[in-house]
Amino acid sequence: MANRNSKRTNLVFVILLLAGAFLVFLQPVVSVRIIKALVYYMIYPSVSAANMVIIKTGDVADNIKSMVYVHQENLKYKQENQQLIDKLRHYDAMSVQYNKLIDLIRVPSVQFTRMVFASISVREPNEWYQWIIISKGKNDGFYDELPLEVLTKDGQLCAVGRIVETYDGSAKAALITNVLSVVPVKIKNKNINCLAEGTNTRTLKITYIPFNADVREGDEVVVSGLSSVFSEETPVGVIRSVSKGQTVDFKTATAEIYFESNISQEVIVLIPDKEIK
Amino acid sequence: MKNFIFYLAYFISVVLVQFFIGKYINIFSIFPNFIIIAVIYLGMTRGKMEAQTLGFLFGLTWDIFATDVFGGRAVMLTLVGYFTGALKKSFDIDQTTTQIFVVFAASCLYWTGFNLISYHFIENADKFSLFSISLRGFFGFAFTLAITPMMFTILKKVFYLIEDR
Repeated sequence: MANRNSKRTNLVFVILLLAGAFLVFLQPVVSVRIIKALVYYMIYPSVSAANMVIIKTGDVADNIKSMVYVHQENLKYKQENQQLIDKLRHYDAMSVQYNKLIDLIRVPSVQFTRMVFASISVREPNEWYQWIIISKGKNDGFYDELPLEVLTKDGQLCAVGRIVETYDGSAKAALITNVLSVVPVKIKNKNINCLAEGTNTRTLKITYIPFNADVREGDEVVVSGLSSVFSEETPVGVIRSVSKGQTVDFKTATAEIYFESNISQEVIVLIPDKEIK
Repeated sequence: MKNFIFYLAYFISVVLVQFFIGKYINIFSIFPNFIIIAVIYLGMTRGKMEAQTLGFLFGLTWDIFATDVFGGRAVMLTLVGYFTGALKKSFDIDQTTTQIFVVFAASCLYWTGFNLISYHFIENADKFSLFSISLRGFFGFAFTLAITPMMFTILKKVFYLIEDR
């Protein structure tokens, strides 16, 4: 019996010690301090006790107040941040516009030719390498078979396509990559005439290359003098591969087009001066 | 139930004496530690359970009134109650020297333990001044020892009267 009582006493001792230790560890918690101050006030209601309660709760109130201030400041900064993002977006748009203007300055002038910039209105994803519709038409002096070109990073104009249908305010153009398109071309500096046929992909099939012609990967393909649409020496693309076999007396090659990596929203339509008159 | 009422009355009486009447019986604003005497007496006459439980409650009440580390007194008075309860029947409680010696030892334990707790848990406190003994503290300590025999006599008579009933 005495042993049982002793065990119980020791258990209560441990519990009381743990409770005391718990209170010691809890004492930095503000809410515990407030409760302590309130209990003190209830036991011993005095001005100093009330003052203590107010001070303790004042700490919490101050914390809440500072949290509210921080939240309000946060909202203000968010608003300012949004305004800055809008300004940055505006700046980016201006920068794009500026770069376009720089491009305009870089456009080389072609004799007896008027250059008209037209933006691309429609380019169907499933006919990506076949057609485009541009935003200008007859009203701007456009007519069928006019060449479309874009400015490359080197500041040269390269072939894109030709106008096939013209309307008052728009025109439809067939790209040189259209499977129906064939452009007379030549290998630059080698005087090898051949044809560039569209494949509805970003590559052109260069056909009718004489079997003994020295055509290599990296050779530049330009428009030949036989073209009735583009002016001679207009860059078209670059040879990527040459076929090993040959059909009768010719071999074929694959050329990567230039315009795809340079085309953005605008193309240049070249109108011969005599037509304007 | 009788015991509960007795201990409740004991608790309230000691708290009243310590916190409300104590300031009227002070000498130059120095008044003794009635609570530690009450806990020790309880431990040496009633045993560990009563002494540690009331020690904890006395400590908790004192902690509420104090502005320093909360819970420190509850822990230390529980310890004092437990150890003095363990010494029940080991000493002749009627001897004045024994009373003073036990109160002295318990006060030293209480003072050391409480300062150790304060040392660890009070932020921005002057850590070195915690263990220094002020003149006022010394006289308070001496006052407690001085009134111990009287307090033991009073408590003995009160306990005797209640038990006799």
